[in-house]
Amino acid sequence: MTDGIQDSRFAIRDSGLGTRAGVVAFLAALPCIALAALSAWWCAGGLVGRGLWPPDQVTLAEAIATRNNAEALRLITSGADPNQPSRVRDGLLANGYDVVVTPVEAAVGAQRADSLRMLLAHGAVIDERELRTLRCYERVRRDSGVREILDMRGTGEPSTTLGPGPDCSGVRLPSDRAD
Amino acid sequence: MERLRPAVLALLLAALITLPLVDSVFQVPIQVSDSLEAIVIGARYPSSWSLLADSAQFSSTTFRPMRYEQARWLLQGAEATGLTFNTVFRAVHAALMVMLVLLFLLAIRVRRWIDVAAFAVAFPVLIGIHTFAAMLQEAFPVNHFAEVGVCALAVFVLAQQPPKWFFPPLVCVLLAFALSVIESGAMVWVVAICCAAAGMRGMTRSSVVAATVVLGVYLLVRNVLDISSPGIGGHGSGFGGTFYSPEELIRRFGAHPLGFIAYNVAGGLASLLFSEPRQGVYSLAIAWKTGGPHPVVIINLLSSIATTALIVWYGVTHLRVGRAAWSDTDRMFVVACAVMVVNAALSAAYIKDEIISVGGLFYAVAAFIAVRALLETIPQRRVVASALIALFLMTDAGLWAFRAAGVHYVLRYDAFKTRNDWIEVLRPDKRDDWPTDPQELAITRRIRDEVILRSVASPSFMPRWADRYWVE
Repeated sequence: MTDGIQDSRFAIRDSGLGTRAGVVAFLAALPCIALAALSAWWCAGGLVGRGLWPPDQVTLAEAIATRNNAEALRLITSGADPNQPSRVRDGLLANGYDVVVTPVEAAVGAQRADSLRMLLAHGAVIDERELRTLRCYERVRRDSGVREILDMRGTGEPSTTLGPGPDCSGVRLPSDRAD
Repeated sequence: MERLRPAVLALLLAALITLPLVDSVFQVPIQVSDSLEAIVIGARYPSSWSLLADSAQFSSTTFRPMRYEQARWLLQGAEATGLTFNTVFRAVHAALMVMLVLLFLLAIRVRRWIDVAAFAVAFPVLIGIHTFAAMLQEAFPVNHFAEVGVCALAVFVLAQQPPKWFFPPLVCVLLAFALSVIESGAMVWVVAICCAAAGMRGMTRSSVVAATVVLGVYLLVRNVLDISSPGIGGHGSGFGGTFYSPEELIRRFGAHPLGFIAYNVAGGLASLLFSEPRQGVYSLAIAWKTGGPHPVVIINLLSSIATTALIVWYGVTHLRVGRAAWSDTDRMFVVACAVMVVNAALSAAYIKDEIISVGGLFYAVAAFIAVRALLETIPQRRVVASALIALFLMTDAGLWAFRAAGVHYVLRYDAFKTRNDWIEVLRPDKRDDWPTDPQELAITRRIRDEVILRSVASPSFMPRWADRYWVE
């Protein structure tokens, strides 16, 4: 029992503690070995661009829907049109299906006033028809910051001074636009 | 060659685990808060000397001249090499982490196969403890706590060696550097004193005297410059299940601070030993009110309790013989425990994971010693007891390995958040807030552009369960 393992990768013969201690030591080391193996896998994956959680390829609308304003700005800087609708994958704005929305609609859907403000500062345009759609969409995904920006775009007045909300009859919400 | 094999295997394990961590650290961009200001100030001065002279007047409660000098040197390094600012600053941060890992390896001295097994349990403790992640997350713009950790571990490694003539000046340089980046640099002096008190051979009387003189000069300089220490209210901190702002702390505890100070010191030590509280807030107290703690709290608590129990077992069974009979390992263990206790005392005014980060490093050292000692008792134990010990160690090591893997998630999350913080800088719709100084504007714009250009992973595309298991 105390002779130790003769050979091998995890022999402890120099410690003179015996086979049983060797087995216990090996078992204790297993989680670390597993972590090291996992880390090696991540490293190897990283070398071919598929390591642990690499940056995702997203559309501008998806970047906004995932509250990733920095990525949205990078896409705009590299030529993406802030008014162009694009696909947003299932689970981000709607459950069960992809939708095609403009970045501004994605900001309203994600209830992100900061994203909306950023898009407007970088060339996004909201016309009268779009404004009505957005205000109706905001009534579904309520956010006071977003509402304030939309109201200011529409009437120049904050919502507290306005009367009843927009007429949403016949308006097709962005979240209903399945791809 | 035969002797080298255990050390080589330990190094290999450490390298495999550290390498992707380097990548994760590197992905966190330069931060806006705490970093941009220091970088801009560092660049503004015509010379290092003028910056050094003025840095003494930057704050009435801190004296951190090297914070600005480092930023300046790294900016110059980036200009000279043609690398991006982000690359240079983040590479330094990643290098600090690698140095911490290497110094940990040197400190525990893996020589036998049984040491490799103990290392395999203790290394995930080093990486997985919440105080380690704190050294990787924040930067000011270089993480001062990581620098202090490197200096403290270096002194600990020196103390294990036979004394050499250059040890006293080297200890002084490490201490002076650590003190010049942050007040917690005093932990380097604490480590030196603890090593000497425990009788570690490399820490001679001359080293202790020299280090104490350096600390004395530092305190004198602070006094001459009229720099006070931040008291209660200098920073927000928790109490029970609530986190209070500085103003609230002053209102609640300003008149009678002793109880709060005792709470913080005890909380700092408890945080090291049990991973609770965090920033002074007990998640268990919150869970008591809201019903059911998050899995992360349970994992952290269980892993820490198991490891702390091992450390207590070692202390009880090995230190009873008296100081004169202590082995070198016993002395290392005593130093590790003493450093943890003193480090906890530094959190008297408020608790932050970073403040007790040196203690976290020494917690892993103590864990290594205790695990190795437990493994060495196996031949004297019965089969059932051995099996139970194997199960205990495997479970504990498994929980710590899980915590260590979570550091990647925490860093990715941090990278995402930090990158998005830059959106609020130089906003086109708030041009009035832009810097008026052209050089400051140019540096700010360059860092911002660099950060925005580097895509990072979004938490939306990472596992949904990760928040509950890795983020407290």
